[in-house]
Amino acid sequence: MSMLNHHGHRLGSMQTLPAPMRKYADRETVDYCIVGAGSAGGVLAQRLARAGFRIVALEAGPFWDTEKDWVSDERGSHELYWNDLRITGGKDPLALGANNSGKGVGGGSVHWAAFAPRFHPSDFRVYSEDSVGADWPISYWDLKPYYELLEQEIPVAGPAWFPWGDPHGYPYGPHPLGGVGDVLVRGCAKLGLRSVAGGPVAILSASHGDRPHCIYRGFCIQGCKVGAKASTLITHVPDAIDHGAEIRALSMAARISLHDDGRVDGVLYIDRDGNEHFQRARAVIVSGYAIETPRLLLNSACSGHRHGLANSSGTLGQYLMAQAGNVVAGRFDELIRLYKAPPAHALSEEFYETDKRRDFARGFAIQTVGPLPAAFAKQMMNAMGAWGWGLRRVMMDMNHWATIGVLGEILPWEDNRVELAEEKDQYGLRVAKVTFNLHDNDKKLIEFGKKRVMEVMWAAGAEQVVQESRYAHLVGAARMGSDPATSVVDKFGRTHDIPNLFVCDGSILPTQGSANPGLTIQALAARTADYLIKQGDAIFFSNRRDQCEPGIRYDLSPPYTNFKGNPRVA
Amino acid sequence: MKQKSYPLRPTGGEIRDLAQPGYYSGFSTLAQKKKWDETTRQVVTERVEKVPPLRFFSSGEAELLTAIVSRVIPQDDRAADRMIPVHPAIDERLFKNELNGFRYEDMPPDREAYRLGLKAIDEMAQKRFHEPFVSLTVHRQELILKSLHDGKPDPAHRIWQRMPVHRFWTLLAEDCVTAYYSHPWAWDEIGFGGPAYPRGYMRLENGLPEPWEVDEQRYDWNAPVDSLSELDEQGAPPEQVLPQAHGSSS
Ligand SMILES: Cc1cc2nc3c(=O)[nH]c(=O)nc-3n(C[C@H](O)[C@H](O)[C@H](O)COP(=O)(O)OP(=O)(O)OC[C@H]3O[C@@H](n4cnc5c(N)ncnc54)[C@H](O)[C@@H]3O)c2cc1C
Ligand code: SF4
Repeated sequence: MSMLNHHGHRLGSMQTLPAPMRKYADRETVDYCIVGAGSAGGVLAQRLARAGFRIVALEAGPFWDTEKDWVSDERGSHELYWNDLRITGGKDPLALGANNSGKGVGGGSVHWAAFAPRFHPSDFRVYSEDSVGADWPISYWDLKPYYELLEQEIPVAGPAWFPWGDPHGYPYGPHPLGGVGDVLVRGCAKLGLRSVAGGPVAILSASHGDRPHCIYRGFCIQGCKVGAKASTLITHVPDAIDHGAEIRALSMAARISLHDDGRVDGVLYIDRDGNEHFQRARAVIVSGYAIETPRLLLNSACSGHRHGLANSSGTLGQYLMAQAGNVVAGRFDELIRLYKAPPAHALSEEFYETDKRRDFARGFAIQTVGPLPAAFAKQMMNAMGAWGWGLRRVMMDMNHWATIGVLGEILPWEDNRVELAEEKDQYGLRVAKVTFNLHDNDKKLIEFGKKRVMEVMWAAGAEQVVQESRYAHLVGAARMGSDPATSVVDKFGRTHDIPNLFVCDGSILPTQGSANPGLTIQALAARTADYLIKQGDAIFFSNRRDQCEPGIRYDLSPPYTNFKGNPRVA
Repeated sequence: MKQKSYPLRPTGGEIRDLAQPGYYSGFSTLAQKKKWDETTRQVVTERVEKVPPLRFFSSGEAELLTAIVSRVIPQDDRAADRMIPVHPAIDERLFKNELNGFRYEDMPPDREAYRLGLKAIDEMAQKRFHEPFVSLTVHRQELILKSLHDGKPDPAHRIWQRMPVHRFWTLLAEDCVTAYYSHPWAWDEIGFGGPAYPRGYMRLENGLPEPWEVDEQRYDWNAPVDSLSELDEQGAPPEQVLPQAHGSSS
């Protein structure tokens, strides 16, 4: 074991990377090899390391030094995204890239807007209640203690009273309102809709340990140099390293290796110089995002698993979901200056649940969005068909516009999927092909949602309202379920087919509600970690599948994070 | 509630050679650069001071691309020494083969898409006006480009059977606006505060300017009278297949 020194490597404006970081030699066998140090992977590594397991997390992207690598600049932030080739198709092809997932330690939590609402209890019972989609193998109440825990750990700022779903409050106070949030709140109030302002967002409204509070500069999606916005890079990875985990950056997992005994024994990966290595592990957890996770499992096909690892059900890659993310833009006489304050800062969930009077199941949320100039120009191109002089003119008016988004639930459909394309990437690995089609329920929901949000915009006093169709937040594609014939993993993320192979990230979600998925993904990761810790060595030697709840551990949080309260109805 | 669309603009001044178009005269983001963090300062300053050389396109292609880009994001109102480099940014992206993370299954790779698109545009000009695109009047150039924007190439060209015209248009136009609106001179034009770390913002509500920002000073201006790219009075999006965009979301 050698030691790596990271002196002066900054994580936000006050924190530095703990040094030294443990480094495992190539031939050492670790307990868990985690693929992807993103939203889920970061939390898992931290929990498992604290419990004493030997952990290596392979991360395809770099280990960000926030001061040297990140900028307060849209174009200069291109490298935060997964820019490698993916093919997109279907009747309603999804734009991927910057609209999609991250690459580098922290994964998508580096560029997320940090909206952190919980799912509603109904989200876990969509099939039972609406005869569409699927039920989860767990209920909201199984996840609730983990929501509360993560809301303290990352932590979440928001109103004292969040009235929807299972009503609750937030440990940190709400943020002051920017111009766009003001428009949302005004418009909703005019229409008699409830809204909340200043959260819930995983952005600090007061300093916390070695992280300062938000300075309202609006560059959240470009990575928060301040360290006010939560990313696992600054919330969980430092504690993971303190407890002996190795986060091995610039290491692209190429395939998971299956031993003759039907158990996985390690991960083949490619380093920054193109050299192949093999990391031996007693168990493997894939946390690579809803596209790269199924891609890796498909690319790991071998004899006995011709159609990909853990794919005996044939559902690996299927039931991929995106949320409808239509952006409604309104022009106001007065100045708004939409670039100030975090893009995520006010929302309404009045239309979240199924309403039998409508002709579709499930619903949508209404949320602020805050595009910076290049993103806003693209939105105006799409929403107004602006180009040339027209585009120059409308852009000169940027400070008069406010943007509010629909966040609509799209149901899981078999034909929305991730497969392998013929093309290969720079590592010689077949790239993912994503197919996406809207179905009848989705189209009706989007039409309805779009109209409601446009009404909010008019009600707020806009003199012109336009909208652009887009999608956000991919999840699904390796869903959890109790039936091995129709799902890939069980309720703890363990693949039905291979006892020491797990999936833990957004890909295990059976449905997605109309809440942003990040908090739920991290809460699920903490729950899976509790299960693995409770199981102990049994995971490494036994094929027995224990389905008992592990019980939540309150002693595994990063330092200074578990002394705030979670307001709730007793 | 008046559901009026894009405000009618009375006849105003002509476009001139302006050091800074837009309604924020006297505002300069670069003047604030001492307040920015080191990395951001470097990245933004370099964008202004070091225009990348042309390495991907041939000189003929580059000339054609420049003519196209000058209509997609026109800068005729800008003084010669305040023009924002757009085609060099596209050339650099293609030279480095910097991907945006995906490709539509019905599209060729970006490099090939640009070569095909340029070829189609030039041949359309030849067929319709019997001259290369670069020699056409601005109005005729706009006629060709507007037909692509509207998704109805006029004249038709076989390349648009292989490559969906709305996807090519989005690729081209998004690259153009990304280059233009990533430049600090464009930030000054639209009154965007620019980088703000470590200082941050203090005035969040009511569209108030920070002490170092300036208030809006509106004036009327006209695009060239025969321009086809001005928004029409209703502000209604011209009929076209609206593709789905990428960029930020929440
Ligand atoms: C612009 C934008 C804004 C968003 N805003 C919000 C928001 O406000 N709220 C919210 O809840 N969600 C938001 N999201 C979504 C959120 O970021 C994702 O849902 C979340 O990060 C997904 O978590 P994950 O663990 O599944 O994957 P990720 O966080 O993406 O982590 C996957 C990691 O695995 C790595 N990886 C993948 N394959 C390999 C491999 N083969 N080898 C090694 N490493 C690999 C990747 O590099 C990455 O670091 C936003 C997303 C975008 C694009
Ligand atoms: S607005 Fe706040 S959270 Fe967002 S990047 Fe700026 S300081 Fe960070």
